[in-house]
Amino acid sequence: MQMPAPDQSVLDRRDDICAALKSIVPATCVIESRESMRAFDADGLSAYRQLPLAVVLPETVDQIAAVMKWCHQQGVKIVPRGAGTSLSGGALPLEDAVLLGLGKFNRILEIDYGNRCVVAQPGVTNLAITHAVQADGFYYAPDPSSQIACSVGGNVAENSGGVHCLKYGLTTNNLLGVEIVTMEGEILRLGGKHLDAGDYDLLGVMTGSEGLLGVVSQVTLRILQKPATARALLVGFEDTGDAGTAVGDIIAAGIIPAGMEMMDGLAIQAAEDFANAGYPREAAALLIIELDGPQVEVDALIERVEGIVRAAGASSVRVSQSEEERNLFWAGRKSAFPAVGRISPDYLCMDGTIPRRRLPDMMRRMASLSQKYGLRVANVFHAGDGNLHPLILFDANQPGELERAEEFGADILRGCVEMGGVLTGEHGVGVEKRDLMNIQFTEDDLKQQQRLKCAFDPGHLLNPGKVFPHLHRCAELGRLHVHKGKLPHPDLPRF
Amino acid sequence: MTDFQVSDLGEARDAIQQAVAAKTRLELVAAGTKRHLGRSASYDAVLDTSAMAGIIDYQPEELVLTLRAGTPMNVVEKALADARQMLAFEPPSMTRILGEAKQGVRGTIGGVIAANLSGPRRLTAGAARDFLLGFEAVSGRGELFKSGGKVMKNVTGYDLSKLMCGSFGTLGVMDEVTLKTLPAPETSCSLLVGADTFADAVARISSIFATPHEPGAAAILPSAIAGEEGVDSGRPFTVVIRLEGIEASVADRLGHLLDLSGGEALAETKSVKLWQRIRDVQPIAEKPVDIWKVSCAPSDAPQVLAALDPRLETRMIADWAGGLIWIGGASPRIGPALRQAVAGLDSGFAMLVRDVSVTREKIPAFQPLSAGHYELHKRVKASFDPLGVLNYERMHEGI
Repeated sequence: MQMPAPDQSVLDRRDDICAALKSIVPATCVIESRESMRAFDADGLSAYRQLPLAVVLPETVDQIAAVMKWCHQQGVKIVPRGAGTSLSGGALPLEDAVLLGLGKFNRILEIDYGNRCVVAQPGVTNLAITHAVQADGFYYAPDPSSQIACSVGGNVAENSGGVHCLKYGLTTNNLLGVEIVTMEGEILRLGGKHLDAGDYDLLGVMTGSEGLLGVVSQVTLRILQKPATARALLVGFEDTGDAGTAVGDIIAAGIIPAGMEMMDGLAIQAAEDFANAGYPREAAALLIIELDGPQVEVDALIERVEGIVRAAGASSVRVSQSEEERNLFWAGRKSAFPAVGRISPDYLCMDGTIPRRRLPDMMRRMASLSQKYGLRVANVFHAGDGNLHPLILFDANQPGELERAEEFGADILRGCVEMGGVLTGEHGVGVEKRDLMNIQFTEDDLKQQQRLKCAFDPGHLLNPGKVFPHLHRCAELGRLHVHKGKLPHPDLPRF
Repeated sequence: MTDFQVSDLGEARDAIQQAVAAKTRLELVAAGTKRHLGRSASYDAVLDTSAMAGIIDYQPEELVLTLRAGTPMNVVEKALADARQMLAFEPPSMTRILGEAKQGVRGTIGGVIAANLSGPRRLTAGAARDFLLGFEAVSGRGELFKSGGKVMKNVTGYDLSKLMCGSFGTLGVMDEVTLKTLPAPETSCSLLVGADTFADAVARISSIFATPHEPGAAAILPSAIAGEEGVDSGRPFTVVIRLEGIEASVADRLGHLLDLSGGEALAETKSVKLWQRIRDVQPIAEKPVDIWKVSCAPSDAPQVLAALDPRLETRMIADWAGGLIWIGGASPRIGPALRQAVAGLDSGFAMLVRDVSVTREKIPAFQPLSAGHYELHKRVKASFDPLGVLNYERMHEGI
C-alpha cells in the first residue's frame, strides 16, 4: 500500500510542532514518544501500521479548533481517530501527520425524550447511547458489530451499519445533526434537532466521508422506542440458491424483517463449533430472520415467514420460543468472526454489496476463486440488503499468502461491481479499497468527489491518502475545459 | 439564447457546455410544477429535461427502483401501487400549493428529489434524501458523473445523493436515479386526541411516541381546521396519530393507544383522505395566502408560534410531531416574525413556499445562512458549477 510521500520539511520540524501543540493543549494531551505512540499505530485493519508524527488528545472543542487552525496555517496534516475500530484503515496514521484522537470526548451531553434524541460527544461508544436511554424504553438503532467499542463520531465518519439496517437504516438515517471542526479551524453546526437541511445537505455528505471533510465534535442522534417483542427463525437450506429465493420471497410478500442474515456451510460449521447454538451442521446455507414489533404482529408475521421459507425448500425451521432461544440463534452469527479466527491463523473480512438476486452467481464465483487462489472462504451476509462479508482464510506466516488473500478479496469486489453492486457496504474505503475505486467509478466521478473535498479542505491536509487512489491538486481539479472556445470569465475566482 | 430540450445526459452535457462558453444562466425545468418554489431569479434560457422520462428497472423484491428523473409522479406511483409498494417518504404534491403548470401534471420524481420533498411519514421513515440510493448527472462544468449505486447498502465514496436532494438543481442535471422502495402498509387508521394548547399537543405526541405502539405520523390541527376536516375533538387542538401495518397489528395498537390517551379512532378511508390533505397542505393551500414552512425541534414549535401576533389572522397546521409548521396568511409581518423566532432557536429554518402578497423579491425564500455556512455553500456550489450556469441563485444570492 503506497501512502503519500511524507513531507520532509514537516518531519524536520517535529520538535517545534510538538512544542506548538503543547502550547495549545495541556502538555499531558500530547504524546510524542515512539513507545507511547505505538497504541495508535493502526486501527482495525491491523495489517497496516505506521507511527504518526505526534498524537494530540484535545479536551475541548475549542482545543480541536485551535489545533486544526494551527496545523492549517503551518501546512501540517491531520488524521482524525475515534476508537480506532475502522476495518478499512480510515484512521491509519501518516508519518508526517498529527493524529487527532477524540477519545477524551466521552460524555453524553443531553438526553431529550421530548424530541427523541441524544446529544453526545464524538468519543462516546455506540452502545453507551442505548445504555443511557434503555431504562426508559428507548434505544439507538444502528448496531455495528463493534458497538461495544466503536465511537459515535467514528460511526458518522464511516456511516456505520449493522444487522438491523434493512429496517432501521444506517447511521445517516439516524443522525439529526453534527458539530464539525473544519480543517481551517472553524466550528460549524450542521442539522440539529429539527428535520431536513433546508439548504445543501452538508450533514448528509459529512456522514460517511471517512474523516476527509471535517472532524466531528458533537452528534445529535435519533433514538427510537424499543420494539415490544422480537422473535427469530433459524432456517437451514440444502441449497444456497433456495435460501436466496426465500429472502426475495419474504420481501416480495411485503415483510421487512428487523434482520435477515445468511451464513454458508463453512461459516455455519465454524460458528456451531464455537457457540453451540444448535445450527444445522449439514446445511449449505442458514438464514436467521428476526421480526420485531407488537406481539400480535410478530406472531402473525412469523407464521407467514415460516410458510414462505418452507415453500422455498427449507430443510429445517426453528422458531424462537423465548428471548433466551432468540439470543442463542444470534450467538452463532455474532461470534462468526472469532469462530473463523479459530479455524484459521488469519482472515481478511471483505464487505461488498450486490443486488440480492445475483447471490447464486456470486457464490459460484467465490467457489471458483477459492480454487484458483487455493484459499478457503467462509461467508456471512446481511442477506436482506445484499451486503456480503466473505472471510478469506489464510496464514500470514506463509510467504505470499497475505498477498494472495488480498488479490482474492480484490477479485470478489471486482465481481460485486460487475454484478451491479459496490465495493463497500458498511466498512468504508479507507486505504483498504482505495486502489479499487476506479473499478466502480470513472476518473470524472472521482474528480467530482475530490472537488467536493476541495470545498472543505483545499490544501488536502485532512486525512490524505485515504479513499482516493490519486490525489489531484485542487487548482488542477478546478480548471474548466470548455467546449469550443476559450474559458469565459477569467476573472472569476476559482480554487 | 434559445431554450434546450434534451433527451439524455449527452445532450444535457452539450447544452451545458454551450451555456458555459456563452456565459448563460440556465433554468432547469421538467414538469414545471416547482418553478415558483425557491428564490426568485432570472435566467437566459430553459433546459427542459421532461423528455428524460421512464422507468428503467424496477425490482420490487429487491426494493430498488431505477428510473429517469423526468418521470412523472403519477407514473411512478402507478408502478409502485401495482407492486403494492411505496416511496416511504410520502412525497407531497406541490400543485395544491403552487398550482398546475399543465393540466393534470403532478411533477416529476426529479423535482421531488431536487426539492427534497417528504410528507407525514418523514417523521418515522425518513426524507427523500434517505431513499435516493444513487444517480447519474451532468455537473455545471458540463461533465458526466455518478454517485452512489443501485443497492441498498453502500458507503463507497462521498454520499453525493444526499447533496443532490434539496439542492434545487443548482449542482447538476440528473437523469438516471435509483430509489429504495418499501412495501405499502396493508391497512391504516388514525387516532384523534384533544389538547388544550399547542404545547400540550406536542407533549401528548411525545408520550405516545414513548410507547412501543409504533405511531407512524403525528399532526396537530387547530380546532377551526379540525372542524373543517370533520375531525374536531372539541378542544382547541386535535392531535392526529396515524398507525399503519397489518390489520391485526393496527387494531391492537389502536386499542392500546385508545386506552392510554382516550380520544377516538378514525377509520381507514377517512384517515387516508385526511393524511393526503395534510401531506399536500390543502387546508391552507385552498386559501389565497402566502405559505411559510418552518422546520424546528418539536419542543421549540410553541415558541415559534408564540412569535406570531394573534391579530395576523394566520392559518396553521403542524406535522412531524410539531416539528413541521405550515403557516398561511396575508400579512407581510409573518415572514420576519418567523425568521426572527427561528434565528433564536438552536436549529431550524423558515422557508417561504408560496408568495401571494409577500413577494420573493423582498424577502429571501430560504432562511439566510450564517457567514460560515454561506462560505461553505458557495464553495460546494463552485465545486459542481463554478460559473453558475445551473439554476443560479435559486436558493441563495451568489449561489
